Amino acid sequence: MTDLAFLTVVEAAELLRGRKLSPVEYAQALISRIEKHDPKLNAFLRFTPDIALEDARCAEIEIMRGNWRGPLHGVPYGLKDIIDYAGLPTTAHSKILKDNVAGADAPVTQKIKAAGGVFMGKLSTHEFAIGGPCFDLPWAPARNPWNRDHFCGGSSSGSGVATAAGFLPVAIGTDTGGSVRNPATMCGVVGMKGTYGLVSRRGVLPLAFSLDHVGPLTRSVRDNALMLDLLAGHDALDPASAIARTGGYTIELARGVKGLRIGVLRHFYTRDVEADPEMSAAIEAAVTVLAGLGAEVREVETAPLSEYAACNRTIMTSEAFAIHERWMRERPQDYGSLTRERIMTGAFVRAADYVNATRVRAKLAQRFHALFADVDVIVTASAMDPACRIDDPKAIEYTYGRQARAPFNVTGSPAMSVPAGYSKAGLPLGIQLVGAPFTEALVYRVAHAYEQATRWMDRHPQLE
Amino acid sequence: MSNDITLEEVRRMAADAGLTQYTEEHLQQLLRATKIAQSRRVALPTDDLTPADEPSHVYRLDR
Repeated sequence: MTDLAFLTVVEAAELLRGRKLSPVEYAQALISRIEKHDPKLNAFLRFTPDIALEDARCAEIEIMRGNWRGPLHGVPYGLKDIIDYAGLPTTAHSKILKDNVAGADAPVTQKIKAAGGVFMGKLSTHEFAIGGPCFDLPWAPARNPWNRDHFCGGSSSGSGVATAAGFLPVAIGTDTGGSVRNPATMCGVVGMKGTYGLVSRRGVLPLAFSLDHVGPLTRSVRDNALMLDLLAGHDALDPASAIARTGGYTIELARGVKGLRIGVLRHFYTRDVEADPEMSAAIEAAVTVLAGLGAEVREVETAPLSEYAACNRTIMTSEAFAIHERWMRERPQDYGSLTRERIMTGAFVRAADYVNATRVRAKLAQRFHALFADVDVIVTASAMDPACRIDDPKAIEYTYGRQARAPFNVTGSPAMSVPAGYSKAGLPLGIQLVGAPFTEALVYRVAHAYEQATRWMDRHPQLE
Repeated sequence: MSNDITLEEVRRMAADAGLTQYTEEHLQQLLRATKIAQSRRVALPTDDLTPADEPSHVYRLDR
């Protein structure tokens, strides 16, 4: 049971393809685990065991007939509940959309279905991917599987929890200011947002059009690369979709980092914001590991974190308020308090400020991307602190802005969070790896080398 | 919009914007939110923008 719960996608695929594991048996094992433990963790907003078992039966028949579709065939997955799955509500964890039944699958859902994935359900999010954790919503917030009294990060909170807790080997999240990478860091799993436009955003409820990314959360780097292989690709119906060559993210994973130039973006977590000492030490230890593996390490500098944050938040809240204006006018009481206040910050942003934020964005991105003339991949912080208590609103608010993820929504760079150890209290720590646009393969290569050298992925939360 | 915006100013702005169903609690939230937005405006590094610096409304990256 435990073995099945913590199989990676790659391990499961090998067993499923070789008919040593039945997709139905695999799904049933995870269903039992979810039924036993999720009432305390709230990763699932809508658990769909019936759909899962039907998908698993189909996968079993096909595999038995020799029609193995690929590594996701018969593998369970979940979707953050802002991603459309035809016939099910996409609620955004909000009273406002509790009856919003999706008429069609999002392209990311279509791709996973076509690959033979086994759908386990819709996962908790912070309301509308911005407000959380809230206790005044129709569904309770997700909790950290390493310590359920602690925050699990967000807004793809259920995606992080379900992956870390052994409910699913893969979950899909979204990221506008760090919402894939934050739960990945807080829950001790791998979370990637690729280059802006790499994965279709169609059928995904927007938070801020020009900053939104879709990305996978997994327990291993290789699984994550496999998933991005599946999800990436041009979508002519998504106006921001990139026309670029995609895929092949697993091909160079094993090449190591010897000779690669790693930039350390240290001022984000030392000068601009002083990170928690345990988090800083974990990042520095990771840099030492990479140097020990043969990478050439050098320090790099960019604009202060505060400039990226102001740019990200001005754009995000302006676009979010434009999306929410009607509901904010007609149904303000139906939002959770925290969501309402965060969206309200976009209510009176001047047009000139929004335009200037987009102009600043272009300059920040240009300056940041210039760094890649001298380095291949950059290492920096993801979160500045381990997960705080979920019932401490002041700590939630304090840590909300103490992060270095939003800069890479501004620049649109590929950025991922990788586990980097544990605090003395047993809570996960993480690093962030960032690349030039469309260099996901290189970012994964560095992440894989670090992961294999440290094997933090082998540790799992005890849910009993 | 001044940096020391008051609740009464926010109430007026909310009414002008059609946000007429707000309770006193909502208006207090709107006041705090508006102050945060103002502080972000101050933090935006706009001094070195030249007239030729283009916005990026639909942001695209090329390989």
